[in-house]
Amino acid sequence: MDLRILHLHPSVLNVAGDAGNVLALQQRARWRGLMVETRRVDPGEPIEPGWADITIIGGGQDVEMRVAAAGLREQADALRSSIEGGAVVFAVCAGLQLLGRVYVPATGEPIDGVSILDLETRGGPTRFMQHAACEVELQRSRAVVVGFENHSGLTELGPGARPFGRVVLGAGNNGRDGTEGARPADGSHVYATYLHGPILPKNPWLADRLLTAALARRHGAVELQPLPDGTETRAHEEALAAARRAKGRLTAIPAARLGRAR
Amino acid sequence: MPRRRLSLRLALARALGLGAGALSRALGRGGGTAISGLVAQWVDPRLPRRVFSDPRVSVVAVSGSNGKTTTAGLLAGALRSAGRQVAHNSAGSNMVQGIATLALRAIDWSGRPISSTVVAEVDEGALLAMIDELDPLVLVVTNVVRDQLDRYGEIYAIAGALERAAEHQRPGSALVLCADDPLVAQLAPSHPRRRFVGLELAESHDRITSAADSIRCPICRTPLEYRAVYLGHLGDWRCPSCGLARPPLDVAVTRIDDGPGGSVIDLRVAPDRDLTVRIPQRGLHIGYDAALAVAAAAELGIDPGVATTAMADVRPAWGRLEQFEAAGRTVLLAFAKNPMSYRTVLPVLESQPAPVELLVAHSSSVVDGEDFGWLWDVEFDRLAPRLIRATVSGDRAAEIANRLAYADWPADRVRVVPDVIDGFSRALAATPAGGTLVVISGYSPLRSIVEHAQRHGWTRHFWEA
Repeated sequence: MDLRILHLHPSVLNVAGDAGNVLALQQRARWRGLMVETRRVDPGEPIEPGWADITIIGGGQDVEMRVAAAGLREQADALRSSIEGGAVVFAVCAGLQLLGRVYVPATGEPIDGVSILDLETRGGPTRFMQHAACEVELQRSRAVVVGFENHSGLTELGPGARPFGRVVLGAGNNGRDGTEGARPADGSHVYATYLHGPILPKNPWLADRLLTAALARRHGAVELQPLPDGTETRAHEEALAAARRAKGRLTAIPAARLGRAR
Repeated sequence: MPRRRLSLRLALARALGLGAGALSRALGRGGGTAISGLVAQWVDPRLPRRVFSDPRVSVVAVSGSNGKTTTAGLLAGALRSAGRQVAHNSAGSNMVQGIATLALRAIDWSGRPISSTVVAEVDEGALLAMIDELDPLVLVVTNVVRDQLDRYGEIYAIAGALERAAEHQRPGSALVLCADDPLVAQLAPSHPRRRFVGLELAESHDRITSAADSIRCPICRTPLEYRAVYLGHLGDWRCPSCGLARPPLDVAVTRIDDGPGGSVIDLRVAPDRDLTVRIPQRGLHIGYDAALAVAAAAELGIDPGVATTAMADVRPAWGRLEQFEAAGRTVLLAFAKNPMSYRTVLPVLESQPAPVELLVAHSSSVVDGEDFGWLWDVEFDRLAPRLIRATVSGDRAAEIANRLAYADWPADRVRVVPDVIDGFSRALAATPAGGTLVVISGYSPLRSIVEHAQRHGWTRHFWEA
């Protein structure tokens, strides 16, 4: 059995250690004897339609958003058709924002997303930088997922989206309505969250549910062998304890003026 | 007599500040590098501004993400050997209070300057707030990498703050910039005197990875092309789209030989003048630090030949690949706070002649941050073959252990000991006599280990470094 991972925009959306999410999927598949093939596709490069079982989109910085958004818009048709074909997409932070309809920064022109998720994001006055946790229900199972949020965008979900999870600790999508992340209301396998961490290595429950959904596309229902998950569980508990201490900052200094004439 | 009252206040601020620092050390609460400044500023909030604006004092500020402490140390050494009286926050206390402490160390009891030159290492996030009171004659910027993103939000937020600080000018002032970092090379293009340093080596010493920090053109966002990559995203870069390129170098490193005793570095300081520097410190990054220090010293009128001679005696700052003997073992301390600093220390560990015992320690704190996601961008898999056993410590020990598990480090060779001193002691005990224990650690755990080592007489006080 084999797993095909597509790491989308790895050199642009790379700032939060999200390569760890790709590594978690690779290793948890390999440790179970699966063959794993990973492709990295940056903005300006084509996505092979129907190839990937799971596509990972990471978090990035606000100034990289335009590069990533332009690339993603060119790749959107291929991405959309793979989702319709049952493939999984897992997106973090900037990835979540760009899968939505639009990102309106605090200053500058709005950035069009690809409207795969029914959500909109506006740059807010506060940057949420703190440990965070949410409760997630997937495949008739429920767990607390823990990570670190670092965003100033305020996201509102439309009727075509439901939350990825319910906020337990932290701010979630907007610090107001208790929603964390997004997934489509139609039940297709797009999962988007604000939680960095990277979260998959320390939330093995979530990693395995994404793996199961990804493998189902070409291999049908797969029963994953259990893994010991000792270090994963301790890392989860350590992060959750940090989230309960609720340390973190809600400040930011303005970003550089880039792209000016010399 | 307003003037006399002012200097009385300055003298009182100095006396109480230094007293608070001495009390802090006497009580075993550390070096007093921050408390002195805090107390002094409470007595006289304008103390730093008044000291730094004294016409008898020249201020050099050293900022950026990595390399501040080492660059400032080399520069202070060079200035002292040129006969300057130097005040320098050598322990790396580089926030507002640490800079105030530095100011009061630069004056005597009557408020008169006893130092002609102040070398101020300044936190890159705090620089902008302090730039007016520092009013530096020379501002050195080392590099901008992802660091403390849970504090500053984004790399570009730091770059933006440095940009505005770099635009601060006074008559005759200069910027000394690392040209190999595209974001730094682009700082304050309208500044009348920008001096550039970088590496001019024939071959790459690193490769661009997906996790690299700034590999797009700072102007047009096109991916950069590199003739050579030296360290992380630092290298000889150009933009294939808009033509922006690394500026010509005023001080170029043309050779670095790294060995157990330190580094031998060739510097081209003028088109027809090359100098060889020997520095008892290791790693490719020492080339950058030395070149920045030589260029900054030159802006203060110190000949590069004088500056480089002094560097032969500049030992590593505390914990910066600092080595000491403990109970018949060699301990190598490697400070690492972000993926870039890991990239600087991994080659040194890879060059160890035999596999080593390793301690990796990270803890959450104000200075170390809360978000350790960057550990997943560190190439720990490179170290696995060089390892006898790893002990992981600090209050993020579980995160480190999980990271190492995903780098395929065998579970039976990774031991979790959350208490840092306990972890250090057990790792030291497990090191065979005559062997080497390598410690890679963030700021807070490293400071605990250095204090522990000092209590045993193995190394210096960190505030004496």
